[in-house]
This record gives sequence, C-alpha cells and structure tokens, in this order.
Amino acid sequence: MSKKPKLLWLQSLTCNGNSHSFFNHSDLFSILSHFELIHFPLIDTKYTLEDVLNKRVNCDILIIEGSIKHGLEKCGVDIATLIDYYANEAKYIITAGTCATFGGMFKEYDSDNINGFAFDRDKAIDNFSKFRKKLISLPGCPIHPKWLSYVLLMIANKKNIPLDDKNRPQELYSITVHTGCVRNEYFEWKIDTHGFGHKEGCSFYENGCQGPFTRGSCNKILWNDVSSKTIIGTPCFGCTEPDFPKERLFFTKTNMGIPQKMPLEVPKRAYLTITGVAKSFNIKRLERKLIEYNNDN
Amino acid sequence: MIIKKLIEKVEGEANLSFEFKDGKISNVDIIFNIYRGIEEILKGKPTRDALVITPRVCGICNHAHLIASVRAIEDGLKNNSLEFTLTQKAKDIREFTLACELIQNHIKWLYLTIYPYLERLLKIERSDNHTLKASYIANTITKAMAIFAGQWPHSSYAVVGGVTCDPTYLDTIQSLSHIEDAIRFYEKVVIGMNLDDYLAIESISNLDKLGGDFAKLLYLLGKNEFAKIGKSFDRFISFSDSHISKKAKSIITTVSAVELKFVKEYKQKDSFAKGVKYKNRYFEVGPLARAMINKEPIVKSLHKKYKDATLTRVYARVHEVALLLKQTKEILQNLDVTQESCVLDSKIDINNITGIGTVEAARGSLIHKLEVENSLIKSYDIITPTQWNLSNNAVAAKAMIGLDSEDIASFVFRTFDVCSVCTTH
Amino acid sequence: MTKKELKRESIIQASLKLFSSNGFHKTTIPDIAKVLGMSVGNLYNYFKSKDILAKEIIKYTSEILGQEIKKVNILDISSEEKIKKIVELYFKMAEEKPEMIEYFLRVYLSHREVFSDGCEGMLCVSGFVTEIMIFFDDGVERGELRDQDFFSAFGLFMGYLGGMVFLKGENILPKELHEYIDDISKNIYNALKV
Repeated sequence: MSKKPKLLWLQSLTCNGNSHSFFNHSDLFSILSHFELIHFPLIDTKYTLEDVLNKRVNCDILIIEGSIKHGLEKCGVDIATLIDYYANEAKYIITAGTCATFGGMFKEYDSDNINGFAFDRDKAIDNFSKFRKKLISLPGCPIHPKWLSYVLLMIANKKNIPLDDKNRPQELYSITVHTGCVRNEYFEWKIDTHGFGHKEGCSFYENGCQGPFTRGSCNKILWNDVSSKTIIGTPCFGCTEPDFPKERLFFTKTNMGIPQKMPLEVPKRAYLTITGVAKSFNIKRLERKLIEYNNDN
Repeated sequence: MIIKKLIEKVEGEANLSFEFKDGKISNVDIIFNIYRGIEEILKGKPTRDALVITPRVCGICNHAHLIASVRAIEDGLKNNSLEFTLTQKAKDIREFTLACELIQNHIKWLYLTIYPYLERLLKIERSDNHTLKASYIANTITKAMAIFAGQWPHSSYAVVGGVTCDPTYLDTIQSLSHIEDAIRFYEKVVIGMNLDDYLAIESISNLDKLGGDFAKLLYLLGKNEFAKIGKSFDRFISFSDSHISKKAKSIITTVSAVELKFVKEYKQKDSFAKGVKYKNRYFEVGPLARAMINKEPIVKSLHKKYKDATLTRVYARVHEVALLLKQTKEILQNLDVTQESCVLDSKIDINNITGIGTVEAARGSLIHKLEVENSLIKSYDIITPTQWNLSNNAVAAKAMIGLDSEDIASFVFRTFDVCSVCTTH
Repeated sequence: MTKKELKRESIIQASLKLFSSNGFHKTTIPDIAKVLGMSVGNLYNYFKSKDILAKEIIKYTSEILGQEIKKVNILDISSEEKIKKIVELYFKMAEEKPEMIEYFLRVYLSHREVFSDGCEGMLCVSGFVTEIMIFFDDGVERGELRDQDFFSAFGLFMGYLGGMVFLKGENILPKELHEYIDDISKNIYNALKV
C-alpha cells in the first residue's frame, strides 16, 4: 500500500490554464513522485473523472482549479457540493489560481453566483472560517508552477508553511512582482519606457504596470524558468490580486500625471518626494539605447 | 438504443450521446455543458483589455486567442484607414511563438491523449513514459517561447502594432538552443530519423524509413482498422495565411479561395456551443485541413490512399510538428533584432472600428470579430476551431457515424484533438 | 532646534532679505556677515560659498511653503475651498514675507546658472511641488478636478499667483493682493474643475 499523500486535482469553472502551467514544471516528475495522483486533468490517471464525480476516491490534498459557480454540474453532479465533500475529507486544500481563490476573470460574467472557494474577491466567505486551518491560497492567472510545487513539497516534507491573512504563503506573496524586475533601475530614476517594444524603461508610469503593488514572486522565480511579463516589457496586470482583472490594463491611471496607485504601502507624499528628486537628474546612460547594433562591425 | 459517455481530459469534458441502430451508430450528440460567457465579459471593456481577457478562453491555446485578438483590432484600425505595416521582426516573433504553442499542443495530444487512449482501447501494455515525453516537450518549448512572450500560458505580449518584447541576440540564441533540444527529441523519440530526411519523404512508399513512436503509432492504427474508419466530409478550410497554411478551402483535393463573409454561426439545441458553417456546409479545420490546402506531399499521398480516415488525420497532426520545428528554427536563425518591435503609439485611440482577426491555432482556424463604439467593445464574437469540427452533425459526428462501438467512436472523436474550454467560451 | 541650527536659519533669513532687496550678485558674504554681526570666517563654517547658500535658501523657502500647503491638504474640505486657502496663504506670505516670494522670482528664476549644479529640475523646490502634486492628485481622485497634464495645471496655478505677486512688486496693482483672493480663487477653480 502506498503511504504517499493522495492528490486530487478538481476543476470547476476554468480555462485549464493552471493545469497546463503546472504541467510545464521542469521537475514535474520528481514532484509528483511524492504523491499518489488520484486525478489530474491532463495526465492519464488510475481513476477516471467518473470515479471522482461518484465519490469513489479519497484524497489528502485537494487542489481546486477554477471559480466556484453555484448550480454548475458535470454529469448531473453539483460541482460546488462535490468540492465541499472532498474539502471536508482533505487534510490540505489548495486553491490553485485566482479563479479558485478570489473568483477571478470568470466572476465577471455572473458576479453574484461565481466566487472563489473561500473568498468573494477580497472578502472572506463561509468556507474561509470553515476551512481556514487547512486552506492554502495560491492566486495567479495562471498559477506559477513553482509556487504550487513549493506548497506541495512543503506538505510532503511535513513542514509548516507561513501564511498571510488570506492564507497565501508569505514566502511567495510577501514581496511584489516589482521585486527583481530587470527594469528596476529605470523605476529608481523614473524613466518611462515610451511605448511598447523597448528593452529600456519602466512600464509603471504609462503602460499600466501593476508590479509595484501586486503581491507575487514572478520576478524572483521566473516564468518557464526564463522570463516574466515585466522583463520583456509587458505590464504586470495584477493577476494575483483579488480585484483581477481591473480595467484599462495597458494604461497607468494617473491624476494629472501622478500615478493613482502607489507601490505597496508607500505613502503618496513619500513617493512624490523621491520622484521629484530622482526626476531632477538626467542620467544619460539610462536615456540611451542600451545596445547600438552596428552593422559595420 | 442510446449510450452516453463522458469524455474527459479533452481540455475539460464533453458528453457524447450515441444513438445505435442495427448495431451501428446512427447519430451522435456532442454536448458541452459549461459556459463561461467570455464574449459577454468583453462587452463594455476598453478595447485593449481584450488582449488580456481572450487568452483566458483556453489554457492550451491561449496564445492563438491573443494573436487573433490583436489581429482583429489591427484589422479594425486598417478598416478605419489607419495605415501601418508591422515590421518583419514583429511578424516573425508572433509566428514563432504561435508555432511553439502548436508544437507543445500537438505533442501533448500525441502523448497525453492518443497514445494512452489507444493503448486503453486496444488493451495493450500502457507506458508511463508518455507523460514524461509530453512534459519534456511542454517544458522545453514553452521556455523557447517565454523568452519572447514573457510566460506561457496567458501571455499578452502581442500589442496593437507589434510586440512588447525587444529581444537581443542573447535571447534568440538561448531560444534556439531550446528549439534544437526539441528537434533532437522529435528526431530521436518521435520519428526515429533526421528531421530534414523526414521532411524529404513525399510518398507513403518511403515511409518505411520512419521509426520512433510515430512509426509505432501508425502501425497500431493501420493494424486496427483506423486507416478505414473516421472518414468525414473530405472538405477542408483555413482562414489564415501562414507558413503552414493558406487562406483557402479544399473540396475533393481542389483548392479554391474563401471569404469570411460566408462564415455563419448558428445555435444548437442542448449545448452551450454554437455550430458554424461555410456557405451552409460543414468543413473540417486543423492540421489535416492545412496540409490538404497547402498540398503537403506526404499527407496528400496518404490521403490518396486512405482519404480523410483517422490514420490520415492523426498523421497530419504529428507531421505538422516537423514543419513547425523547421519553421521555428529558421525564424530564429534569421531574426533581425535591430528592427522596431512596435510601430504604433501605445496610446492611439481605438474607436468606432469593426475588425476580424484570424489565426491558425493548433486545432484549426480561430476567428475573432469585434466591434468598438465609444472606445469600448460593443460586441465580440469568437469562433473556435472546435466549433467547426465538433458541432452536431458536423465533421467529427460524421466520422463516428456507422461505427459499431462507442469506445472506438470515442477514440475517433479524440483524434480531432478536442478542446472543450474553447468550445464553451 | 540646536544653537547651531538657529544660527543657520538666521543666516538664511538675513541673506534672503539682502538677496531680494539688493540683488544676488551685488550681495556679498561680508555684507551678510555684517548684518548678522558675525565674522566672515564663521559664516563660511555654515555655508562654504554664496552659491551653496543660495541653494539652501531656495530649499528652505520651498519647505516652508510646502509645509503650509500640507496643512491645507490634510483638511477635509473641497478642492474649491483648498484652492482659496492656498491662494490666501501664498498672498499672505507675499505680503508678510515678501522676500521669500521675491527671492523665488528674482533670484531663483533669474539666476539659473547658480542653481544648475545641485538644484537640477525641481530638486530644490520639491518640498513645495510635492504638496501641489498631492493637492492635484487628491482633487482628481475625488472627482473635483479635471484630469490633465500636471504641468498645464501647475503652470496655470503657480504662474498666475507668481504673476500677481510680480505685478504687486512692480507697484502696478491698484489694490492690495488680498483683495484679489476671491476672484483669483474662482478663476483657478473654474480653470481646473471637471
């Protein structure tokens, strides 16, 4: 008999993006070797979805993907009820992705009836008080494969995961997406990237980058092991946050040129003081193209 | 007699309801019963937000949605007489990342769907290595792609007028290494021979050189009647020009032009998914359609012998990976990083436009149509490849009718590379 | 404040008056030392050069003005009322401490070469500019002021006030500055409101 924890991945209203994101993990097999995989949407597993729907399986760890919609059925089985059943049974519940955690993108279609498993946007709902002792929130659209593997391996190694007030692992969400971004020097000196398609400049001032006020470690633990949105010049859209997606995602909301949202917990007065100072110097190196491709060479 | 089957692991689920008459399937209802209302969500949103919202239609072909979306907006701007041309660099990078998405998709389908379910169907020994192989390619290819797109899934790096990235040769060289890894895998594991030698094969008679998992798969399919079954309308269509496709249709091997205005969606009973027809007829989309329209010699050779049977359909998809790998390598080798990445100002007003964007996604033509009024999206319409292939009475249904077992029919169904989430956007 | 800090401030205040009334170039360090009854050598212990002193003065006046505007910013009143309070305090300062505004207009803006090294851009006036930014940001956030380019709003607001003080200094204004407060506040509000 296998003594490995039983892992069940259950989908509600989803695009499958979290499954595919996790499947990209470079150490997928070494991670999965710690568990008995009951069901996973992409991999051929011992048990079928019908087994899962008919409660013929058990689980120690329940991973929920997708928003919870009341009345959503698969083969006549109410998915919200089924999730509650396995949630009661599991020792750990992981909400994988922003949909499962806060409601996410699909909540916008029917806001009253679609929520996260334990949150309605940033508001805790019944399931939070009911399951908070075994709940781990992993927002992100999609989930970062290494954030999930961190949680799974911590569980497999019987370690305690420090969580914040929304049950997000502190080691992943106490920093912002801004942390580690390669464009940080441009942020320090307040140099905009001037449109799209440049290695140079920061996307916070005009292009809508939410990195400085979005919790997550996208630039500490890179995406697909190689990059991130902000590195290549796409703004961070704040996809780990309860209010994802906000609107006008490619524009920084400003009030008379002053960014409306400040870096996390930075008072506007402090930010503007530093900005005034930084902007006063024209650092030539940072205003130049980084690389001059000269075909004569 | 009616037999219902839940088909899982098709990017979500589908419910098939088989009607049997005289021991043979006389009708199949394909039901997808989840609806996420993405087109509704898009209504009233600022136009550019579509570039973030539409990739969330689908976890496996999110990138195709991004490209279709950006093309729809660009088409709208051009219809409004804004003149601009993307740089070759921006076009190439978009094609590259798109090709990468297709590759990971086809390989996942081969190893996560076709092999396991064929082994299950034929009751032969099952191998764990399939998942490992799919994982290796998914990991390698998405790395190559994320160097340009920032991440996969759910990148929004294609923006109106180009791309957000501004790669260096350091990037292209690293990406090329990943592509070369993928090529090595394809050569050693999938086809058991050199890629260029493989691509030189033009006729079935030379397929004996083929090795690897592909040869084994063809053997299993051929031995078990799949060269004879799964035939459908033998009508193919594609709405986008690319390295692997042409905007055209092929009817009994005759290729002719198409116009988007003849594409019509219609509501289906008992299903959230809409059906779609061209000039009131069903057409197949996907790798087989692309190969037939592009007159890909080896696929034409198979088609000559087996028509649009399951074997031909499966072949076309695995074969397309070879074309895509070669294409991705060539793009990277020739990419001129000194050109502009984005030719349009990031703030240009997008207002009062109507546009259509098409792209060849893994499963076939994907069409996005949008209408913008007062700088907000007034309507957004997404027609996915799966709608062409999997509507009731359409391509996949026809391929299953006449079969005598729901298990075999379900496998035939899976050979279309079903995407439930796309269908139920 | 320590004894040294007090001395430093008294030097700034004395120089402010001399620079504003006699002009920057005509005022020498010995002149300032003489007014304060201190030795030239001792004054150099506080400020190593006249240029450095000039920069410290602009920071000092900017800070004082900034602190006054901050008091307005933290009040729970409408943007319209805030505009009036800012106009009031600016004119009050121009009437009570004309040397501060004069210094800004006649020294800071007229002798840019002195401020080129160390007072680049708005570096030495950031104490004041930051508070104006907070005021604008808050007004837009509350839906009272129209969102526009910062400098188009800033120029309108401060250029207007500076211009009035300049006219007053040239003895062109027929009335006292404070008699213009209502009209000017209304004009500024009308120009900035949504």
